[in-house]
Amino acid sequence: MAKARTHLEQAAGVRWSLRLLAVGYVFMLVAWPTGLIAKHTFADGFTALSAAFSDPDVTHAFKMTAIVALTAVVINTVFGVGISLLLTRYEFPGKRVLSALIDVPLSVSPIVVGLALVLVYNVQYGWFGPTLEENGIQVIFASPGMIMATVFVALPLVIREVVPVLQEIGDDMEQAARSLGANALQTFRRITLPSIKWAVVYGVVLSLARSIGEYGAVKVVSGNVAGKTQTATLVVEAKYQGFQQSTAYATSFVLAFAAVVCIVIVSILRPKEDHA
Amino acid sequence: MSIEISGVNKKFGDFVALQDVSLTIPTGQLTALLGPSGGGKSTLLRIIAGLENADSGTVTIEGVEATHLPAQKRNVGFVFQHYAAFKHMSVAKNVAFGLEIRKRPKDEVKDKVAELLELVHLSQFADRLPSQLSGGQRQRMALARALAVEPTVLLLDEPFGALDAKVRKELREWLRRLHDEVHVTTVFVTHDQEEALEVSDEIVVINNGIVEQIGSPDELYDKPANDFVMSFLGPVTSLGGSLIRPHDIDLHDSDGVLGAVPGVITRFTRVGFEVRLNIRTDFDDDVLVTLTRSHARGLEHGAKVWLVPNKGALTVPVMVPVA
Repeated sequence: MAKARTHLEQAAGVRWSLRLLAVGYVFMLVAWPTGLIAKHTFADGFTALSAAFSDPDVTHAFKMTAIVALTAVVINTVFGVGISLLLTRYEFPGKRVLSALIDVPLSVSPIVVGLALVLVYNVQYGWFGPTLEENGIQVIFASPGMIMATVFVALPLVIREVVPVLQEIGDDMEQAARSLGANALQTFRRITLPSIKWAVVYGVVLSLARSIGEYGAVKVVSGNVAGKTQTATLVVEAKYQGFQQSTAYATSFVLAFAAVVCIVIVSILRPKEDHA
Repeated sequence: MSIEISGVNKKFGDFVALQDVSLTIPTGQLTALLGPSGGGKSTLLRIIAGLENADSGTVTIEGVEATHLPAQKRNVGFVFQHYAAFKHMSVAKNVAFGLEIRKRPKDEVKDKVAELLELVHLSQFADRLPSQLSGGQRQRMALARALAVEPTVLLLDEPFGALDAKVRKELREWLRRLHDEVHVTTVFVTHDQEEALEVSDEIVVINNGIVEQIGSPDELYDKPANDFVMSFLGPVTSLGGSLIRPHDIDLHDSDGVLGAVPGVITRFTRVGFEVRLNIRTDFDDDVLVTLTRSHARGLEHGAKVWLVPNKGALTVPVMVPVA
């Protein structure tokens, strides 16, 4: 009996120290630094926030971030779901290569992505740059390039959420729908999409957070021109370097806040899945 | 004739699933495709449904050449082993699916769904989700869903395979009665010979991608074309180089009958109402004999007996050694 109790006490001790370690780790790395941003932002009440939002560079940067992030998320969602279906429902040569390529954006530094896009699309000697330029489309140092860079870095997020779910549900339901007379589009809309809905929502939120926060790749392809091709993350750096710390903190706070809101919304919506 | 399959071949990589399969499935009957797992019966069913394409050969359904028709245009009802219930839809919505796809008027859909749920005894579960049903109920829902589109043929792929023994037995009796009511041409795949013998009008035995025999349950049981069909349709044992059913052997306690084979009882097992004896003879190490309890009275482990195939017993020469 006595021995059993010591085992239980030991187990409880391990549990508590693991818990403490995990909480401490996350606190030191995530909660405290993020909290400090909030503290600096609201050091003088709302003055820093209102000052930031009256700066045309900052408001334009937020607009750019919204345009770039939302466009990139839409593109990544459409192609992400398409590629996920391709990877799970079809057999074709090169499938494993495609699957491996999709993970490249996770391992390649965004700076490298930016440089690669510049090499392909720049106006002077890029592969497509001059031709596109002649047709009035500027990619590098303009929003198309920024969107492409953001799409690239957030590419795997929707796919990696959706593929496991598609694999888990199998294709029985889809085949049943087909045998009941549904065509490919009807099957997708009525059967497949409702089944992967939550994976898509999760993927979209992750992509959105990643796209809003993208810095390196966008910095290289955008040219970082204030009021023109500067996104919110770029403005944070510019203001911080330009001795406008309070504006930098306020902008950072808004970025962090947007990300937290995304996660909160999803965690509120998510539990309903168990009842549905 | 309802479904005509001629010269169908199907390979998965190097694996030959079906080899030159030709058969005719008659209209309005309940036909079983019976065979061991991996024998090709499910593949054949999926080819009829259009869920799989044959490498060569043709499929004709009710006179319509269907070989290259996609699944959604074949008007077949398909029931899957694992139900394939639409998890996010209520039972009623599941059943209504095919009708809604066909854009039938709302009132008609409602009436038809109510009628079908009545037929499969699920009326009170109309608003539940599939996850709130038992396995047997889910499969009945899947059956109602398949019947809703008034299919030319109803195809069932091991429909009761995922259910426990008792429910399986109930459902197959129910399927038989349902078929007697609805009369839709029905093909179902099973590896359970008892299920096939009990339910179907006709049985197609498929093994290693070829059709071994086609016939009524009685024909198959009484006149198996070969040792495979015989051993697949029921228990067999080998006696003097032939396959014979264990219940077709008579035992005598003295050498009074011509051709009787002497042996010694090596094992005596009682299973409910029957007695199973393992007997060693000079030729065969282990002959299985089943008797009713009353016939086994007086027999015991180690007793000497004489074995004789009973009158009219079916024997098939062994071509493949039976383990």
